[in-house]
Amino acid sequence: MFVMRTKLFVNSAIVIAGCAIAIASPVSRVAGKGKPATGSAAQSGAASDAADRAKVLRAAADALGMVRWSDIGGGATHLPGIDVINTMEFSGTGVSYVAGQPVQTEFRVELAYNPPGMRVQTVRGGTASIQTVRENYAWDESEPGAGLIPGKGMATAQMAAAKERILQLWILPYGVVKAALAAGDKTVVSKENGNAVFTFPLAGAVAGVTVKATLDANNLITRVETKSDNPALNTETEYSDYADHGEIATDIKSPAHTVRTQGGRPVMDLQVKTWDANNPYVVFPVPSAVKAGNAKTAAARASTGALLAADGSVGSR
Amino acid sequence: MGFSIKTIAAGIAVCVCCVVASAQSPAPVRRTDNVPPKPSGATPRTADGHPDLTGVWNGIGDTLNGVPNQMANDGIYVESETSAHDVFSGARIFTFPRNTNRVPTNAADERAAALLRRVGANRPLYMPEYWQRVRDLDANANDEDPTNNCMPAGVPRAGIPLYIGQQPGSLIFIYPGQGGLIATQTMYRMVPLDGRQHTPLQDLDGTYTGESIAHWDGDTLVVDSWGFTSNTWFGQIGGYFHSEDMHVIERFHRDGNTLTWTATIEDPQVLLEPWTTTPRVAVLNANPHAVLPESDPCSERDLGHIVTKEHH
Repeated sequence: MFVMRTKLFVNSAIVIAGCAIAIASPVSRVAGKGKPATGSAAQSGAASDAADRAKVLRAAADALGMVRWSDIGGGATHLPGIDVINTMEFSGTGVSYVAGQPVQTEFRVELAYNPPGMRVQTVRGGTASIQTVRENYAWDESEPGAGLIPGKGMATAQMAAAKERILQLWILPYGVVKAALAAGDKTVVSKENGNAVFTFPLAGAVAGVTVKATLDANNLITRVETKSDNPALNTETEYSDYADHGEIATDIKSPAHTVRTQGGRPVMDLQVKTWDANNPYVVFPVPSAVKAGNAKTAAARASTGALLAADGSVGSR
Repeated sequence: MGFSIKTIAAGIAVCVCCVVASAQSPAPVRRTDNVPPKPSGATPRTADGHPDLTGVWNGIGDTLNGVPNQMANDGIYVESETSAHDVFSGARIFTFPRNTNRVPTNAADERAAALLRRVGANRPLYMPEYWQRVRDLDANANDEDPTNNCMPAGVPRAGIPLYIGQQPGSLIFIYPGQGGLIATQTMYRMVPLDGRQHTPLQDLDGTYTGESIAHWDGDTLVVDSWGFTSNTWFGQIGGYFHSEDMHVIERFHRDGNTLTWTATIEDPQVLLEPWTTTPRVAVLNANPHAVLPESDPCSERDLGHIVTKEHH
């Protein structure tokens, strides 16, 4: 008997792994409405809420292809499904708005959820920029990885932009599902115009922002709204044209079309050409100069008695 | 041909007994976790007092085979049907019950496996000029993986040897050829444990296993290797290439019937900092008379038929 490889060698029909659960009645009652329940009625209501929440979030995760397992070579080990989304890379073109004026834009995005990080490279009207964020650190790069090796590029700390940049990660469809799961019983599901909706507060670096996500009939996230005391963090984003846009098929669905507004004003209208969801190699090491700059900022805050951010807990990779 | 009533009755009785016996047989143990088992038993020691690593270390199967093992190697520990985390970052990984109505297909399982093997956060930190190259190598692994055509996995990609023979002054490591994640030919290493030093790097021709020397750090065996060919990857997947200056420090620690292994890769030509694999744990074959079976000859049959970029 010869040793056989198990590589895929046929063009198989695309199978949506973790087939989406049909949610004939995803929400049995609208949370937060009606008289306050007490005693066993309250317990029953809480259990019902939890079941509704689990059902809606599972359906959303399945529709995106996030929930996966594989028994290949596993013998008697049968693991549950897990969230397989960590890193991604996508690129495309479109229009973004500068001072209300549309500007032709090319973009390339690298992102990771564990640990959270994002690098957005854009060319807008002939001007290139690279904006990067890793947890509480934000900086601009003159080239990818600038500032990591002495003499190779420049990294400029942009700590004030950290919250806005990392928010972009959590309002992508995958981030919305992850954050809603992490919010636990703070996530509230309801129905609007026949569509399932869930609302939840973000935590950590983006605490203070509330997210509302709307699903379509296929349980795909089609609209994400963010609300905050900071007007810069109030956005409305529409996602459409979902498909597996990777050169390597993953059965992960991603939106090809993204339209964002802020307070009703257009922010961007982008089309994705390729979306690599196969957990590609993307990393966001924080340059030492950015860390040092942040330490100075933290020290300045401490001297004025302001609360310190939990910057010291961030690793280097 | 006819049967007597007695014969028929006896036959029915035998069948009934079979059914009862079958019903009383213990069901196969189905694991729903991939967490390495806790050690049990005492750690045997050699005459000089060091732990004795001798044995066949395939008690939970080959460390490269099976998606659950590969996920653990990547640092994703699924503790139960409702709990999982990344051992490197500590991040929670969300779990979900399986869909019972999903129709499994090879294509879906392979695509899921490719994702599952790459979920972990523990990734080597390459110099920025190599980030795209790593991505390209991984994306084009069907053409680029150095183990294609049954080439050796090399050190440290081969992981934990399935057999270790410990003698005074040296060790023998055997890595049988295998299929699964990567199909490789049999590999062996003879590792001196006699206090000798490395040959200067510039005097060595690069090889798949390099030049190894070992010493004890307390109860941990440290195997120090250099002198590699650059024609291997050092991760189980991922396009993790290296230069001929790669330096590998493996650590083997036996605790009862378990052997924990890590490898630290230093390569200042391509890495920004040394990288250490997620610890892997092998379990001793419980049969004290266990021997390694002959490994199957490796024969590459698929590469010529691959029509997509989907890969392990």
